[in-house]
Amino acid sequence: MSRPRSTSDGAPGSSPGEHVSPPLLAVWLLTHALPHPVREPFLGDLHESFHDDILPARGARAARRWYWRETLRALLAAPSMHRSLRAAPPPFLAPGRDGPMTTLLSDLRYALRLLARKPAFTLLAVGTLALGIGATTAIFSVVNSILFEPLPYPEADRILTVWQHIEGGDRALAPVTVPATAKFVTWGKDRSADLDLFGSTTYNAITRAVSSFEYTAAVGYETATLTGRTEPELLVGQRVSWTFLRVLGVRPALGRDFTRAEDVPNAAPVVILSHGLWRRRFGADSGIVGRVITLDGAPVTVVGVMPAGFESILQPDAQIWTPLRYDLSIPSYRDLRVIARLGPGATARRADHELDVLYQDLVRQHPDEYAHGNLMVVSLRDQATRDARPVLFAVLGAVLFVLLIACVNVVNLLLAQGAQRRGEFAVRSALGAAHTRLVRQLLTESVLLSAIGGALGIGVAALGVRALIAMSPPGLPLVGAISIDARVLAFALFLTMTVGVAFGLIPALHAARGDLHDDIKASSRRTAGARTTRTMLVVSEVALAFVLLIGSGLLLRSLARLFAVAPGFDTANLLTMQIQTSGPQFATDASTRAYFDRVLAAVRAVPGVESAALTSQLPLSGEFDVYGLHSESHPDVDYRLDPTGFRYTVSDGYLSTMRIPLLRGRAFTEQDRADQVPVALINETLARSTLWGGDNPIGQRVRVGPSNRGPWLTIVGIVADVKQQSLAAAPANAIYLLERQPWRFADAAMSVVVRTMADPAAMTRRLREAIRSVDKDQPITRVATMDDLLARTAAGRRFVLVLFEAFALVALALAAAGIYGVLAGTVAERFREIGVRAALGASRWDILGMVLRQGLALTAFGIVIGIAGALAFSRIITGLLFGISSVDPLTYLGVTGVLGLVALAACWLPAMRATRVDPAVTLRAE
Amino acid sequence: MHLGEFEQLVLLALLRLGDDGYGVSVQREIARCTGRSPSFGTVYTTLARLEEKKLVGSRVGEPTPERGGRRKKYYVILPAGRRELRRSLQAIQKMVRDLDVSWELP
Repeated sequence: MSRPRSTSDGAPGSSPGEHVSPPLLAVWLLTHALPHPVREPFLGDLHESFHDDILPARGARAARRWYWRETLRALLAAPSMHRSLRAAPPPFLAPGRDGPMTTLLSDLRYALRLLARKPAFTLLAVGTLALGIGATTAIFSVVNSILFEPLPYPEADRILTVWQHIEGGDRALAPVTVPATAKFVTWGKDRSADLDLFGSTTYNAITRAVSSFEYTAAVGYETATLTGRTEPELLVGQRVSWTFLRVLGVRPALGRDFTRAEDVPNAAPVVILSHGLWRRRFGADSGIVGRVITLDGAPVTVVGVMPAGFESILQPDAQIWTPLRYDLSIPSYRDLRVIARLGPGATARRADHELDVLYQDLVRQHPDEYAHGNLMVVSLRDQATRDARPVLFAVLGAVLFVLLIACVNVVNLLLAQGAQRRGEFAVRSALGAAHTRLVRQLLTESVLLSAIGGALGIGVAALGVRALIAMSPPGLPLVGAISIDARVLAFALFLTMTVGVAFGLIPALHAARGDLHDDIKASSRRTAGARTTRTMLVVSEVALAFVLLIGSGLLLRSLARLFAVAPGFDTANLLTMQIQTSGPQFATDASTRAYFDRVLAAVRAVPGVESAALTSQLPLSGEFDVYGLHSESHPDVDYRLDPTGFRYTVSDGYLSTMRIPLLRGRAFTEQDRADQVPVALINETLARSTLWGGDNPIGQRVRVGPSNRGPWLTIVGIVADVKQQSLAAAPANAIYLLERQPWRFADAAMSVVVRTMADPAAMTRRLREAIRSVDKDQPITRVATMDDLLARTAAGRRFVLVLFEAFALVALALAAAGIYGVLAGTVAERFREIGVRAALGASRWDILGMVLRQGLALTAFGIVIGIAGALAFSRIITGLLFGISSVDPLTYLGVTGVLGLVALAACWLPAMRATRVDPAVTLRAE
Repeated sequence: MHLGEFEQLVLLALLRLGDDGYGVSVQREIARCTGRSPSFGTVYTTLARLEEKKLVGSRVGEPTPERGGRRKKYYVILPAGRRELRRSLQAIQKMVRDLDVSWELP
């Protein structure tokens, strides 16, 4: 509720303080209810008091509550103000006579009395609706904030990202130049690829050639260690061209933006801080601008502080921004994203066209560096939310099913009520009430029900949103923006009204139909028409529940399949952490290696450590460090056609600590010293690749990185495959290098893997202390047990699964309640018939079978429709499945079984009641 | 004409405020002196009633940024208002005078 609103009051970033404005809905209500002469001064007074008295004293949440309280009191006082000021009251307060308002009011009063008279019915209906509307509103508020609300930048729809589409693979990604400190990233081969990373020359060409862009910016990832007064801290940040904030349209709240002169090679280093970092590390010191801080051991001048609530959407955890300082005429390494803001009058289509012309020129001029394909623009929002979208839509779809079932259930309840009220309606109609009037009465009741349900639903939604945020998978963008705002409230209102009218109409038309005189005469309980409708409704409930159960069944089985995949190493009792080196003392590879060796020795000395090792890249950590591989004996004419593989530079004991099995050849040994022949191990998948031309790879030599530089490594052994990205990823090539032997560079960051004797999480503190004892200024990051990392790789799937499971359980319960209700109703109605049957010699089993047959027939019918529905809707979650098809027969069978059993249980009670009918009693009554 | 207690408070606040009497200042003045913080709905209802009884008059003021650009409505106590207030307070003073009230609990 306290989300910053940068658009509603004042210019964004005009002050570093919090932007809180009065609740819009309350202002709207007051504007429409207060008498004209005091409307403006009253709202002004509230505004002034809100900002000057309440907000500073009590904070945003309490201030908003206060505003609502004042609004409610003012609304209550409004009629009296109107009287005093003799102003014309707004129409809805007018005391008309026999106008539509009077009718509505009397209908409302009547409906209220009715609901109060039947508390059990009211509670059940309102509760069901509150759950349905609340769950839907909660999910909608998440989907709304992430997918629909404008990004928190001015004219955000004009911000685009540039993508490259390559036909037939990633050949163009082979390194042109690879700086020694950076990691080279490339994607799998032999398939078309859509990429969003560019080198500086491409960025430069786009900047010059595309006139549709007002500003074009390049954005890269960076990390830097902040040292100084307190503990060293590794900060995530972005290296950006000087145009970055201009593209986003945001200015620093303190200080200034970068200048063009700061974004050239060898310019004096400057930095802009995030608001959070400024408050946390610098005590919100307003004199920070111009001060010098220490990043990676070097002095950097702070030039600005971003506004509170600013999130750089491509890197939500960024806390610092520094200028790129590239010489754009020298080709760089492809690690830049390109974003741009459309100029006035320009369109995305024109930008696309200009990019296309540019790219064809580039391919013509540099056929070695650019593969056939094209450039295109994608909106920044689409880019930022692309991973979250399928997850969110699947969940939204599921919750709509729950809402449907909730509505069906309430219709059922209303129909049961309607059946009892036929006599009442007959009398009213006989006394001259028009059918339309009766329909209106019933609609008023249903809308009132849904309004109460909706109001409670908003409360449910507020709780639900909190729960959703708490359990949301990591990496979901814009989580901070999730809130119940005016649009969500409007959605809930719309939902409530639609639901009220939709489920009110069926029973209303039902009740107003047919010859009511019969009902007066007989005051009959035989309500065959209503029963058919109710049966159909229960069938649809079963069908809807079936679809949801299939969804969660498929997800459950996918997750089980996923975790059944062996990661290729033993994840139990494994603690991992990343150690970074930063500062001038690590200028040489030797000093970096020496530091890591000392760290490893310190870790191994900690009691409780069974073994420990270092690796440049940790499986399942999200790291993605891939290089081109080139065989000496089978040089390809075009080196860019060579395969790529994950590169692991590891210390002694890595394979044994991780328990990665050696398949052939030998492991690294003590004899593989720095001055000996450099050796490498490869994984099974790489051993089977075409790189070796069908020969035994052991003994062959290979280069990692560019084909023409770096040492030749001799392959000495083959190890089993290890999952790097996630358990779901296909097997990929991998090569292991030995840390102490020379390669092209020493990694500036390494992960420590520690096999512990007992609970690894309990060892964290002692291991941290051991590492900090080597050098207290080097940050330790990403401390996690391997089991945690493993669970995190499936967090998105698990998030959807938990929600689907919850929804499916609700659906199942509602469907069971529906079946029970209908059967209980029929048994009650057929008392006499059952009595006669029993008198004529039907056994208890016959009667039991009769009722059960009816219930199960209904269930079976529902399941058949449900199968059709599930086949149609399970496509939505295809992307989230793993290892099974969306028409997995076992899931369908299992769900049918579960639903059948639940239905049987729901039939059992009414069926037992039917068997206890005493024929003598019923016959006497007849 | 009879004045209610809250009406007295509002009139007294207007007297104390001189020509700076408007919703927020009246509300703050009452809160400051009495320790209770009336809602704006109550303040405005009372002001409207006093205006209806012709005990206070009002004029429209200037818009300011801290009010979201909305104008103030200044209220001043009219001579009839002073008269009523005086009568009302004198009545209370008479009731209190000569009365040996023990404020302690028995």
